[in-house]
Amino acid sequence: MINREVLMTRISKTLTLSGLALGLLSTVAYANCPAATVNDMMGVAEGAYPHQYELAEFQTLADCTLEFAENPAIADLNAMIRGNPDLPPLAERLPEEPLVIAPYDSIGSYGGTLDALSNANEAGTSDFLSIRHVNLVRYSDDLQTIVPNIAKSWSWNDDYTELTFNLRRGHKWSDGQPFTAEDVKFWYDNLALDPKINEKPKDYVTVAGEPMQVEVVDPQTVVFKLPAPKPGLLAHFATHYGQGFQPKHFLGQFHPEINPDADALAQGMGFADGYDAIMAYYGNSDWTDTGTPMLNSPDRLSDLPADAMPTLESHFVIRETTEGRHFVANPYFHMVDTAGNQLPYINEMDELFANDQEVRLLKLVNGEADYKSQSLQLSDAPLLLENQEKGDYTIQLKPKIAMHTASFNVTHEDEAKRAVFGDLRFRKAMSIAINRDDLNQVAYFGEGQIQQYTGFSPAPEFVDPQWLTYATEYDPDGAKALLDEIGLVDADGDGFRDLPNGDPLVLNLQFATQGIAGQVVELFGQYWSEVGINSAVKEVTPDEYRSAQSSNQLDVGLWEKGQPVGIILGNNELWVAPFENYFGHRSALLWAEWMESGGTNGVEPPDYVKQLAEDINAFQSTPSGTDEFKAIGARLVENMTSNLLFIGTALTPDPIYHRNALKNVPEFKTASYEYYRTYPYRGPQWYLEE
Amino acid sequence: MSQFIQFVMTRAFLALVTLLTVSLIVFTLMELVPGTCAERYLAFKNTQGSQITIADIAAEERRLGLDRPFIERWGKWVGNVFFRGEFGDSCILRLDINQLLADKFWISLGICMAALILSYMIAVPVGIVAASSNNAVANNSLRFVSYLGLALPNFLLALIIMLFSTVFFGDSLTGLFSKEYRDAAWSWAKFGDFLSRAWLPIFILGWSATAFALQTVRALMLDEIGKLYVTAAAARGVTGSRLLWRYPARHALGPVINSLGFDLNRIFNELPIVALILTLTEAGALLFESLARSNDQQLAGAIIFLLTASIVLLNFVTDIMLALLDPRVRRGMMG
Repeated sequence: MINREVLMTRISKTLTLSGLALGLLSTVAYANCPAATVNDMMGVAEGAYPHQYELAEFQTLADCTLEFAENPAIADLNAMIRGNPDLPPLAERLPEEPLVIAPYDSIGSYGGTLDALSNANEAGTSDFLSIRHVNLVRYSDDLQTIVPNIAKSWSWNDDYTELTFNLRRGHKWSDGQPFTAEDVKFWYDNLALDPKINEKPKDYVTVAGEPMQVEVVDPQTVVFKLPAPKPGLLAHFATHYGQGFQPKHFLGQFHPEINPDADALAQGMGFADGYDAIMAYYGNSDWTDTGTPMLNSPDRLSDLPADAMPTLESHFVIRETTEGRHFVANPYFHMVDTAGNQLPYINEMDELFANDQEVRLLKLVNGEADYKSQSLQLSDAPLLLENQEKGDYTIQLKPKIAMHTASFNVTHEDEAKRAVFGDLRFRKAMSIAINRDDLNQVAYFGEGQIQQYTGFSPAPEFVDPQWLTYATEYDPDGAKALLDEIGLVDADGDGFRDLPNGDPLVLNLQFATQGIAGQVVELFGQYWSEVGINSAVKEVTPDEYRSAQSSNQLDVGLWEKGQPVGIILGNNELWVAPFENYFGHRSALLWAEWMESGGTNGVEPPDYVKQLAEDINAFQSTPSGTDEFKAIGARLVENMTSNLLFIGTALTPDPIYHRNALKNVPEFKTASYEYYRTYPYRGPQWYLEE
Repeated sequence: MSQFIQFVMTRAFLALVTLLTVSLIVFTLMELVPGTCAERYLAFKNTQGSQITIADIAAEERRLGLDRPFIERWGKWVGNVFFRGEFGDSCILRLDINQLLADKFWISLGICMAALILSYMIAVPVGIVAASSNNAVANNSLRFVSYLGLALPNFLLALIIMLFSTVFFGDSLTGLFSKEYRDAAWSWAKFGDFLSRAWLPIFILGWSATAFALQTVRALMLDEIGKLYVTAAAARGVTGSRLLWRYPARHALGPVINSLGFDLNRIFNELPIVALILTLTEAGALLFESLARSNDQQLAGAIIFLLTASIVLLNFVTDIMLALLDPRVRRGMMG
């Protein structure tokens, strides 16, 4: 990412004013700060980053002193957090340098309960989770600019091997304890790298398979030292659920390397040992929705110091069962609005689990939830749109990142099929046999944007436009000519083409609705039969599909696919055979075997596949935006697209639902997981108008 | 009396064998489905953005002991259930099953029993009267309502009622509790709230059960009413409801009591679908989830085990009831 040196010396002179001092100064004749919003900045200039300011930056630009105000119910909400001490005054709860947020439309009002709808514990919860989510940094709603959040600022060294984060002085956990650089180091050294917690470190905490080093310079400065350049590390923190910090003062008390009496302490509370207690609170995963002791240890809850571990998020979980969860506002949250009101605006959040799509739709139509995006699909859009006015909600149809794709098994077990599927002319024939306009009208209500699969989605500027439409034209005659050329002709006169050796060719189109819509697969079958390729469509469960894929039994891979450049910078899976992870759209498994075994097993892949693997590593370690970066990116796209290993269809939208009473909800750019769902749209400044 | 003890012992032994067999069948069937629970669990994680590798799945399987042969896993599970009363942890929910099912199974059983009682409270008197009545209009309308109850799938009935309620009352009638009682401890207020919601599944399950029981009672009564001993009793001057209740009804009800366990099973079989649609968070919905979606052998095994145990127990109770009602059975049992 772009090297952003954000320490602004011109404003540092005001940093010494503590929040408390500001409170005392409130009677002094300073001009009141303008309640600037994104829609009406009231003359306040844009700061270093869109829609948000550091406190001193804002006060300089607006020429005022911000007075802070708190939620009148905050003491009551704090009382609902078991184990939290009584609240100190607001000035002691906010960091000395709070993050000032310009709300989208208006300064909100405190109160209300946001109702959310998820599938089950840890299932279909990420759209709700991302409302309260925080991380060191965040993508702004343009999905291009990385902006500060928990970190006040950051800087890279010249060769992208040292990433320094500056934290906020006086920032506190939800239990009032200080948050410092030690919490970052604790997360990395004692959780992420501890084999008793993670058997093997996750890919995202290593660089080229090697661990980093996290060094604490002072309580507000922490440095990640990388064994190799990885400019994508910053984007990783902006998009990933894994928060780069955990409460050392809380989890550390159970960690034998931090507290020598950890095991005794944990045993006194009914756990087997300290690690057992950490498991109960942390779930041994950075996934922030793992069950709390309220769920996994209800019988020993009364002996525990807290129902859940402290957080820096906007809301804190106070109840959790298999029916749902309940959250209250974090009294120590680090954001204020441009009028000085501490965020979040919304007092409480209530999440209900309903593991049936039709029931969830009924509840949404009925206005029983305030916001929903995960698991809503384009096929639900007509029903949701039809009832918008009656249910007093709004549906936004926004493009997804991934699109439906088909891949031919170029390393099929059957040599005759492998030869045909491995022939680029065949793959091209299959791509131009698809009538994408018709597909768009029938399966996507005409809402799709026809596109070839290029690997990057949405397409960055370095993608040559010719690849976006490559082999997407509908040309059945051209397809037939190509098939004739390969020698796929109808030998037995049944109306369908047979393999060159005379055996019949029937594509087995197995699919699971989790990966692709059934209608799309049926249309594929129809288009291909029109150029003489016979197929049989069969719906299976996702497990059966994965199992067939893993054992190389598929003729055709059918699953959605696509990642944005921000993810690709930190993750090479789309570019190295089998071109995705276990749960994604894999192909060419025998090429993958060859590459993993260093050439002893499997089938040797063509040169362009080796080139892709080489290029993606170079791409990830080249600073983005440079000419070299763009050149490598363009080569990746060319090799991926021109070889049609994955045949694209159209980028389609998915619905995003919010009730009209939920305010400050902007237009989303995408309906997708990739930028961590709601995180760019700043849930803490949402409010409910009753 | 010794014969009675022998009878109880035999039934208890058979019940045990049934329980073991059922749990073995459940484990075996679930073994045949591709994808272990570890994989399903990580698949959920993957939809949430976690990058998962095959090595992660293998590690998770090791952690959960899923890499052991399934007979061994079943043996260990059965041992824990019988000797320690512990069902273990649910693989998908990461929870202690005993804690998870504590309320939920009783709620499910309560709903099913309520539906069962409701159906018999209606079916027995109405069935008996219907069999002796010559009123064509009443008989035909009764038949219509019964056939509707039998023919209308429960899930459809649930959906119709939900849709109706949503359109006209703005309440989708889903869930077991209102929001304010959902996480609260049990109290009379919570129980009242529960009843205000539970009537719907009870009604839905009860309708088809009533229809079924009604037809059974009516057919059995019609069989008995024409028999000679009834005519003889009538000739001796016994008339009206006294005749019906003392003679044909007593014989007709024997087979009905015998089928109580069977009926409970049938109602419980229908519960998961209804529960899923009404988003009732009780054991029926959990059973569906664990069988169909998450392949959670421990959880599915535990629920089916509890259900089988309830049915076996109910059958045992009905056997005793039958012995009390029917002297022929009593003599056969007690000597």
